[in-house]
Amino acid sequence: MRVGSIVVAAGMITALAACSSSSGSGGSSASGSASSLSTVTVWDPYPQNDATSDWAKYLAACAPAGTTLTRTTAATADLLNNLTSAVKAGNAPDVVILDNPAVPAAAAAGLLAPAKDAGIDTTGFDANLAGPGTVAGVTYGVPIGANTLGLYYNKDILDKAGVDPSTITSWATLNAALDKVTKAGDKGITFAGVAGEEGVFQFLPWFWGAGANLKSVGSDQAVAAGQLVSDWIGKGYAPKSALTDNQSNSWDLFLTGKYAFAENGSWFAHAAASQKFKAIAMPIPGQNSGSAPAPTGGEFVLAPLQKDNASAHYANASKVISCLVGKDNQVKTADKLGYFSANKDLRQAQIAADKVWTPWAASIESAQGRTTDLGADYTTTSANLSTAIQASLNAAGDSATVKAAFQQAAAG
Amino acid sequence: MTVQNPLIVSGDAMVGRTWAPARPKPRRPRRTTWAAVGFLSPLLVYLVVFYAYPLYTNVSLSLHNYTRATYVTGNAPFVGLDIYRQVIGSPLFLPIVEQTAFFVIVSLVFQYTIGLALAVFFQRNFPLSTVMRGLFLVPWLLPIIVSATTWQWMMDADSGVINRILGIFHIAPVWWLNADHSLVAVTIANIWLGIPFNLVILYSGLQNIPPELYEAAALDGAGRRRQFWSITFPLLRPVTAITLLLGFVYTIKVVDIIWIMTFGTGSSQTLATWAYAMSTGKGTSAVIKYSQASVVGTILLLIALVMGFVYLALQRRSED
Repeated sequence: MRVGSIVVAAGMITALAACSSSSGSGGSSASGSASSLSTVTVWDPYPQNDATSDWAKYLAACAPAGTTLTRTTAATADLLNNLTSAVKAGNAPDVVILDNPAVPAAAAAGLLAPAKDAGIDTTGFDANLAGPGTVAGVTYGVPIGANTLGLYYNKDILDKAGVDPSTITSWATLNAALDKVTKAGDKGITFAGVAGEEGVFQFLPWFWGAGANLKSVGSDQAVAAGQLVSDWIGKGYAPKSALTDNQSNSWDLFLTGKYAFAENGSWFAHAAASQKFKAIAMPIPGQNSGSAPAPTGGEFVLAPLQKDNASAHYANASKVISCLVGKDNQVKTADKLGYFSANKDLRQAQIAADKVWTPWAASIESAQGRTTDLGADYTTTSANLSTAIQASLNAAGDSATVKAAFQQAAAG
Repeated sequence: MTVQNPLIVSGDAMVGRTWAPARPKPRRPRRTTWAAVGFLSPLLVYLVVFYAYPLYTNVSLSLHNYTRATYVTGNAPFVGLDIYRQVIGSPLFLPIVEQTAFFVIVSLVFQYTIGLALAVFFQRNFPLSTVMRGLFLVPWLLPIIVSATTWQWMMDADSGVINRILGIFHIAPVWWLNADHSLVAVTIANIWLGIPFNLVILYSGLQNIPPELYEAAALDGAGRRRQFWSITFPLLRPVTAITLLLGFVYTIKVVDIIWIMTFGTGSSQTLATWAYAMSTGKGTSAVIKYSQASVVGTILLLIALVMGFVYLALQRRSED
């Protein structure tokens, strides 16, 4: 009886396995040629835009003639994992829109088709913004647009405390301003220190602004940047919740109107312009003078690697991608997402057409790619840096702890 | 058996009598066996597809070195127990085990004690007792995303309501969610979350204790305290065992409430959140570690299995 049941069970499993594998490969190759002609699938990391949003309609209009476009959306970290499983199973989407620091990791794992194979036109994008799309000499995709970080300030609070924003050109002058506003009874600065890439993204302007380099995260300059944010917590300039705040949380805190400053993204520029208080953006100051290099944010449009009927999938992918970032549509796409165009000439026209972008013009020109120095190794460095940032914020100003945290990060 | 065999033999000889039709040995058992297999097979297939196969995959992942790239190609090299050595030898491992132990044990002790106290309290029916008992189930009904976010707000170091209440008693504000305190913070939230489960099971256990015992004890002059320790507690022991076992298994695999409150940072990292972070590339590190995560998963499974055996042993002893 027991033996019998095991035999039956084993038989059922083989039957199931056979059935699933035949329907899997048969299904995708049989329906592959048909479906690649009738539907195009696109995955994007913009779950804040639902099926009825402008973005969804705009994207749907990019379906190549004779096809309908199916959009799937998920948070960035989930999207990369879903893509990993999909490529393994041979049912990857035609187009994926991935956060730029994830591109080298995706390329290194063999998830992406080289732009040359997929027929993606990679010309006409600025080098600093297109950088993350090239890994080990092979270009995989192009930026859908770009964003960066700046320092928003609440002019009402600065006026009340007698701070002139034009004097804020270094960390010392920024700290002096923070001291003044907190003494005047208001709160200082909000930023996102959350564990992971988002917190690292927000830390990089201070890191680079101190002259630190991602290749040596244990340097004195790196420690200085860690000490800066640690002191903000210790002196009460920044909320302790920065430890777990992401950029939306820290933006919400700024919108309460109680904080003088907020380090946040250019994608909030339009929202900032429509507040009850006067929220104005300025470049993030470097340690000694001038503005700090901010990291480039934004996603890349890419064609995942296809196993079956690849040429038909790539043909559709390249059509969708050229619809999104071709010269005629680049600014439209960027506007839909609240981003900048990744082409200098187009961007200048875009900035000239909307005065909300004026304070951002210099920041986006000097912005640096996060993965430019390290390629796929950036993911590991970012993880070590994230641990150090968390430790620094927890230290609340204690310099020995901050120093040890960055030395630990350098050791790996 | 030895007594029956001759009967059957004699039964075979007396064809048509009562014994014979029931036992025509050679064929029918086979047919019923196949029927049984037929009825069982959906269950067996279900067990294999949804239990055995994932378990096998988990163990297989932990014995091969899977990265994102080798996961896609399927060419992960077999490394035996190397990754087990790597995970257990990691400087993170022991602290995380200690934190997990703290989270589970402290959660269980408080959930059980408070749950039992409330169950005994509600054993006496008084006006509005049903309504109040219902209110205690609220933590169970709320989606975790809601209750965990609410706890995060309440524990906010600068403007949270808990620190404001502490302020009334001139207690310095606590930075609840920092690296040092986050374990205590998430444990407090988890205790609150687990009380309804303990209350419900223990309350229904109390209903099964015959009221005559209390009446007899009262006649003999036993006070409430004596009644609790001599009747309620001992008679509740089987229910206590299953409550604690289930509570243990639920608590050791908690990810959601910890993740929403702290992303498993600082001391709030447990084995379960660690496995989640590594398997999805979330939290501090976006580097995906399928194999390391499945090692932790296997360890969690073994701990739960051991607890299952402990429970069986306890049950057997109480039956003896």
